Amino acid sequence: MSNILFIGLSLSSILLLIALGLSITYGAMGVINMAHGELVMIGAYTAVLSGLYLNLNLFLALPLAFLVSAGVGLAVERVIIRRLYGRIIDTLLATWGVAILLQQLIRLEFGLSFFNIHVDGLGPGFQSFPIPAFLSENFDIFGFTVQPYRSFIIVLTIALTFLTWFLMYRTSLGTQVRAIMRNPQMAAACGIDVNRISAWTFAYGSGLAGVAGVLLAGFKAVIPDMGESVVVDGFLVVVVGGVGSLFGTLLSAAVLGQINGVFAILTNDIVARAIVFGVVIFLILLRPNGLFGFKSR
Amino acid sequence: MVENRSLGQKLDWAVYITFFVVVLCLPLLTDDVFWLNRISKFLVFGLLGLAIALSWGYAGVLNLGQGLFFGLGAYMFAMSLKLKSTTSLQQGSDKPVPDFMVWNAEPGSPTELCCIVPGSWLWLPFQSQTFGMIMAIVLPIVVAFVVGSAIFRLRVSGVYVAIITLALVLLVRLLIIDAQPITNGFNGLTDLGWLELFGIEFDPYMYETYYLVAVSCCLIMLAARWLVSTRAGLILQSTRDDANRSRYLGYDVAAYQIFFFVVSAAIAGFAGMLYVVAAEFASPTFLDISFSISMVVWAAVGGRSSLIGAVIGAVLINSIEASVSETEIFKEAWKLIIGVIFIFVVLLLPRGIAGVARDFARWLEDKHLLSTSKRG
Repeated sequence: MSNILFIGLSLSSILLLIALGLSITYGAMGVINMAHGELVMIGAYTAVLSGLYLNLNLFLALPLAFLVSAGVGLAVERVIIRRLYGRIIDTLLATWGVAILLQQLIRLEFGLSFFNIHVDGLGPGFQSFPIPAFLSENFDIFGFTVQPYRSFIIVLTIALTFLTWFLMYRTSLGTQVRAIMRNPQMAAACGIDVNRISAWTFAYGSGLAGVAGVLLAGFKAVIPDMGESVVVDGFLVVVVGGVGSLFGTLLSAAVLGQINGVFAILTNDIVARAIVFGVVIFLILLRPNGLFGFKSR
Repeated sequence: MVENRSLGQKLDWAVYITFFVVVLCLPLLTDDVFWLNRISKFLVFGLLGLAIALSWGYAGVLNLGQGLFFGLGAYMFAMSLKLKSTTSLQQGSDKPVPDFMVWNAEPGSPTELCCIVPGSWLWLPFQSQTFGMIMAIVLPIVVAFVVGSAIFRLRVSGVYVAIITLALVLLVRLLIIDAQPITNGFNGLTDLGWLELFGIEFDPYMYETYYLVAVSCCLIMLAARWLVSTRAGLILQSTRDDANRSRYLGYDVAAYQIFFFVVSAAIAGFAGMLYVVAAEFASPTFLDISFSISMVVWAAVGGRSSLIGAVIGAVLINSIEASVSETEIFKEAWKLIIGVIFIFVVLLLPRGIAGVARDFARWLEDKHLLSTSKRG
């Protein structure tokens, strides 16, 4: 039983990790960032490349991936999303274009493959990212098998969630973000630099995606389209949790992850995912504002 | 003012007529049947663009799961055609049995459609091609009605509709893959027979099939165009612009939304059926998210609020894609270009090609009016 719960918990923590960045960009800024999965992918590739060329291990790759993804996110915000605030469906469409663009850049090795130049660690194939040995070997405590890497993910996710909560609810920056969430015009009228704060918020959310990418790289194959499935899961978690509610996102990631874990054992992976989608549809129909959402923006 | 509008409408009709003439005369210009088959597939995609424009442009409902209805239509009809294929008749039974069921069957189970694998009796009625054709339209309609009723009666709107439809198409895709013994899972239904209608066999690489697709496409475009100009179509547009105001004026907003959601699903289901005739397969990739979003891309590039714009957008994008996709690397590069085009269209041309055409028409009109008034 505890094993099942642990599998569910680790699924939940990954969902939460992906959704955390989205809950900020979508929840706080009303941007449906379909390129969020690609920011995760970029984080994963940063890990692979930094391991190959700079010999960085997991712990050094994490902050680097945060910076790289945050940088890409910042650029996307400045160039594209900035012009689309308030047009939520258009942000979805434009960032879908960004997602394809980023995917293809990695797949085509930034265009180098046209000149028959191959860069190790890029291209259409699978890449793998080795995790440190002491995190990859299971060990037993009191008859309970501990998977150190999964535990590491859970601990790190909790830490990042706490950090995000702290930033959003205990700093002046967070207060400004939450003011923008409720009413951007009023926030601007009160002297908040909406443009600047939005850009930083978006960069932070993107950076979290990068961290998620590094952690995913530890147990999933790194491929250019790995972000596609990731982004949908993230959205479902955020929408079910309630737009703009960090606690809602946490709870819905926990619930959906557990449902997925339990049904994957009772039936199979495919049916478990189908059940999760069914539950999500049902919850959105019943509570379109999510479990803990507030109305109006 | 009245004169202006009539000029704009004239131009609109001119575009429709030009499109019909080009589409119907295309086979006269070429005898490359392979190429014609490709164009017929793109016309089917055009219908999908039309279905998106109808629900997104006219009803303001962005359906990110249109592939669900396309896929259901395709699967329903492909089941009938699968039973008509010669391989299905050669499995050692006097009645047709799909080959993949024989591979999936437990040793010792009878080679009969009723009970070869669990659930295979669902295939029994599909021995009639007419049943498959009817189901390809009816099933999308029923599903769309149930889903649409749930969504619109509960007044779910905007981005939540997009998320629900997205989750739904993924859900059904997983169910189809999971039901491997009766759907052939990831591989989908391949090696199909040909459609036979009024004694004509529709070989996908013959003119008959092209004309079947082209004429259907033109008729549906006309019907959709008529539908949005009716009173119901106008009320629908009012619900898009301000649902609450329409509600206060006494209209049952949900009823109009459900109706057009169902129409759009029926078109997608029909398109799925035509696609199976032209492409000879049905697969779970029809229910991939990327395919459903591609439809939205076509409609957006063509012009989300113009039915013919969406059709042209779909045909255009797919034709260009096909012509540059001869080599693998250009195919990947083309995807990159599509990404850039799409960002560009959303940022700078939110009304797509049709919007540009309309602006151009208006500019011509103004110039025309100016010159006549000067003369006067």
